Amino acid sequence: MNKNIKILIVDDFSTMRRIIKNLLRDLGFTNTSEADDGTTALPMLQSGNFDLLVTDWNMPGMQGIDLLRAVRADAKLATLPVLMVTAEQKKEQIIEAAKAGVNGYIVKPFTAATLKEKLEKIFERIEASQ
Amino acid sequence: MANESSVLTEDYVTRVRELAQTVESGNETEAVRLLDELTSLREKTLYQELGRLTREFHEALQSFRLDSRITSLAAEDFPDARERLNYVVSMTAQSANRTMTAVEESMPICESLEQQSSSLRDDWNRFTTRKMGADEFRELSRRVGEFLDAVSGGAPQLRHNLQEVLMAQDFQDLTGQIIHRVVLLVDEVERNLVDLIRLSGTSITPLQEEVSHESLIAASGPPVPGLDQGAVSGQDEVDELLSSLGF
Repeated sequence: MNKNIKILIVDDFSTMRRIIKNLLRDLGFTNTSEADDGTTALPMLQSGNFDLLVTDWNMPGMQGIDLLRAVRADAKLATLPVLMVTAEQKKEQIIEAAKAGVNGYIVKPFTAATLKEKLEKIFERIEASQ
Repeated sequence: MANESSVLTEDYVTRVRELAQTVESGNETEAVRLLDELTSLREKTLYQELGRLTREFHEALQSFRLDSRITSLAAEDFPDARERLNYVVSMTAQSANRTMTAVEESMPICESLEQQSSSLRDDWNRFTTRKMGADEFRELSRRVGEFLDAVSGGAPQLRHNLQEVLMAQDFQDLTGQIIHRVVLLVDEVERNLVDLIRLSGTSITPLQEEVSHESLIAASGPPVPGLDQGAVSGQDEVDELLSSLGF
């Protein structure tokens, strides 16, 4: 797993962004940026050469599910791996995220081990498909 | 009310019978008297009914006036509760940040101690198995000295940071009290709303709303155990669901 990949963390709560940032750093990923909702995240993604998007669902402005759809609809970003980290956990929502093309789905509250496992799974799949 | 009306009916029935008899027997004076009596009886009922309506109207107005509490709820208690809840949000955020700062400060200390001790342990093992020369030992002993300095500097720092983490939890008592107060307010509003609905005479039958796909997937925040249906119970169920979808 390449630890130098560029990761965008999107969550409206700065404390949650800080937690994810710390956990990622503990896993060796130090190249992270932050955005507080989809509206600010999308232009960053379009111009920033990110390798992974970690996003919340429930945010003011553009929600995570809409950000995911926008990413998949954008030719340049369509294949960007997206990990959703959210408190939304209705079956319909998880299915919707899967349909929209999410690469991983973590429900809050989550553990460092879960984050590590899902990240590894995402990169395994990417490597296998290459 | 039921007794009153049956007494009234009895009054009517006796007088109507008497009236029929007097008319048949040709006693005109008595008949007129009975008719007058019947009319006044009718008026009495009307006045009674009017009185009852007036009383009810008065009571309804009175209870509306009592419900000026509703006005003060909307004007004062609600904004007050909003401020209180915002304060809870900022207090919990503050606590989280205080905790994370302490943790972020502690992590490098732990990492450095971990690195130094593991490298020292390797060399220490070489020393105890007599695989180390005198020069190397002098170097090792210098590093042990450095390590001890790092430990005696780092340990108080770690203890201080742990103390900080502990103290950052003091919000729970305060936010608990504030939230409890808002719960009491919600209770009161509920009671007032139920009273108001009762007063308006409408029976409470919740509207059966059709559940659209949009509303099913609309973000609704963390599910609360026992309240939110259709939510998975944790990461394991999410993984199961996703793998059943071919993930």
